[in-house]
Amino acid sequence: MFNRDTWLEIANTVMSHPMRTFLTGLSIALGVFILVVMQGLGFGLQNGVKSQFADDAVNSVWVNSGRTQLSYRGNKPNRRVKMRENDVEAMFQQMDTVEVFSRRIRIWGLPMAFGDKQSNFPMRGVDPGHEELENTTLTSGRYISQRDIDEQRKVAVVGKNITEDLYENTDPVGTYLMIQGVQFMVVGTFNDPASRWENKMAYLPYSTAQRLFRNTGAGDVVDQVIVGTGTMPIEETTTMTASLLSWFKDRKGVHPDDARGIVMENNNEEYERYQNIFMGIELFIWGIGLLTLLAGAVGVANILAIAVKERTKEIGVRKALGATSASVVSLVVQESLALMIVSGCAGLILGVGLLELVSPMVDHEYFKNPQVDYRIALLAITILAVVGILSGIGPAIRAVSIRPVEALRDE
Amino acid sequence: MVAIMGSSGSGKSTLLNILGLLDGFDSGEYVLSGESMSGLGERSAAKYRSKFLGFVFQSFNLIGFKTALENVALPLYYQKVSRKERNSIAMEYLQSVGLEDWAAHLPNQMSGGQKQRVAIARALVAKPKVILADEPTGALDSKTSREVMTLLRDINKEGITMIIVTHEHDIAALCDRTIRLKDGLIA
Ligand SMILES: Nc1ncnc2c1ncn2[C@@H]1O[C@H](COP(=O)(O)OP(=O)(O)O)[C@@H](O)[C@H]1O
Ligand SMILES: [Mg+2]
Repeated sequence: MFNRDTWLEIANTVMSHPMRTFLTGLSIALGVFILVVMQGLGFGLQNGVKSQFADDAVNSVWVNSGRTQLSYRGNKPNRRVKMRENDVEAMFQQMDTVEVFSRRIRIWGLPMAFGDKQSNFPMRGVDPGHEELENTTLTSGRYISQRDIDEQRKVAVVGKNITEDLYENTDPVGTYLMIQGVQFMVVGTFNDPASRWENKMAYLPYSTAQRLFRNTGAGDVVDQVIVGTGTMPIEETTTMTASLLSWFKDRKGVHPDDARGIVMENNNEEYERYQNIFMGIELFIWGIGLLTLLAGAVGVANILAIAVKERTKEIGVRKALGATSASVVSLVVQESLALMIVSGCAGLILGVGLLELVSPMVDHEYFKNPQVDYRIALLAITILAVVGILSGIGPAIRAVSIRPVEALRDE
Repeated sequence: MVAIMGSSGSGKSTLLNILGLLDGFDSGEYVLSGESMSGLGERSAAKYRSKFLGFVFQSFNLIGFKTALENVALPLYYQKVSRKERNSIAMEYLQSVGLEDWAAHLPNQMSGGQKQRVAIARALVAKPKVILADEPTGALDSKTSREVMTLLRDINKEGITMIIVTHEHDIAALCDRTIRLKDGLIA
């Protein structure tokens, strides 16, 4: 079907009407161009928004305590609920398995010094699981380990800003950092591209931080607990979070309807919400792109229909000379297909070219890497092929139904 | 070599189209090469056409964007003859009508007589048994008409039946036999 003769025949007919061919091609190329550019922009938006939320994108449940709103079991409202270590242990026992978790305590500003440089930085006491749950990227050394916790070691993993400000970008690993007059060995550095705030932090073993830096009287109060839910399905994490929350409220004497005393944020739900937003954006973009393509296809079908009408006589002659219906159909359909694919690829190349050109120039918080992946390009070409065939069918049927006598009438 | 004559509207073209399997018929019988042609499908009509019949039209009906050579080669294209072979065959036939130097020209670069000779070469290229010509000289001056008739005559001598529709008596006089039509009937 696709031999050289057929192609020569198609090239012959297509080139015999350069203006018509050009206009049809232009509308298709424009459709694909718009599809590709919109895809790229949508991708860029998605990349940008994703990078904003990539911070805590790991599936997890975050447990916080605060002040109560309602009185309950003789407790007055506005009571500060204190989550203690034994509460956390009891909570873990309520759950089937806890693969990864981290308790967190924080102090907003502690004097930190190296050599003659000194500045205030916040600190977090964390468990080893915190690396995964906060999505931390280590840039050198290692993270806090379980032995650091068990032995209450004085070690620290410091953020990018500390490295920059106190170490002038030399590698701090192996040096001693003075934190409020106590010597800590730096064992690692990190960069959290999604959070400027985390980059100011020094992470210390939870146990060490609790013993050294908590004001007396705070005892073993835990500010926050993060529990990873791994691959647990969304519905399951939702029901688990709900039952855990009511159990925890009961244990701490918080009214079941109290929205502040104990708060559990289910990261999964949020994650799914963002997924839905992305899906919305994607659908919108595809919708626009496909409509443009459709308009192009209608244009092609129209022009082919006109072409067939104009060529009534020619098709009649071909039939008189031995053309079969099949050969007439394939001539028209393949002509449409060739037009679609050639001009579609031109649009594709132009669109991808534009994105490649623009991509390095834009790097906004909410807009990154506006690129089209090759699967979308392939899909676009497939759609073009299908649309090309479909839009050729109508005119082809008309062409077939031309009777040679009608066509050859001398008038 | 047969001439079909008759006044305008008497059914000359209709008869020729029926003979050429370009049109159907309601009554009567048409036997071509021993086979009945009634109720023929599109596909088998196309088959018989390319096997037995060649056409020459009053307005030439060359395809405007194809060269003389490509026009002549077209029937062979539909018979799935390879490109090289059909071009060399088409060239031979162009030679036989004296237009080998015009092979690469488009129809609109040629005179009426030349166009009709290309059309005749195209009708011949598939080696038909019968050539059906509907007023082949209708658009030509008398000198060119004579030349074209001479060509058709020569082809007839090669053993190809020639059926020519015309309303000019001197054209009909060049044929072996004349059939007159009146109101769709042979008079
Ligand atoms: N035998 C016939 N029976 C019925 N209608 C006929 C017959 N022959 C011709 N016609 C009709 O007469 C009209 C003129 O015929 P046409 O072949 O074009 O005439 P000509 O070519 O002789 O000028 C056409 O519409 C055709 O359908
Ligand atoms: Mg007529």
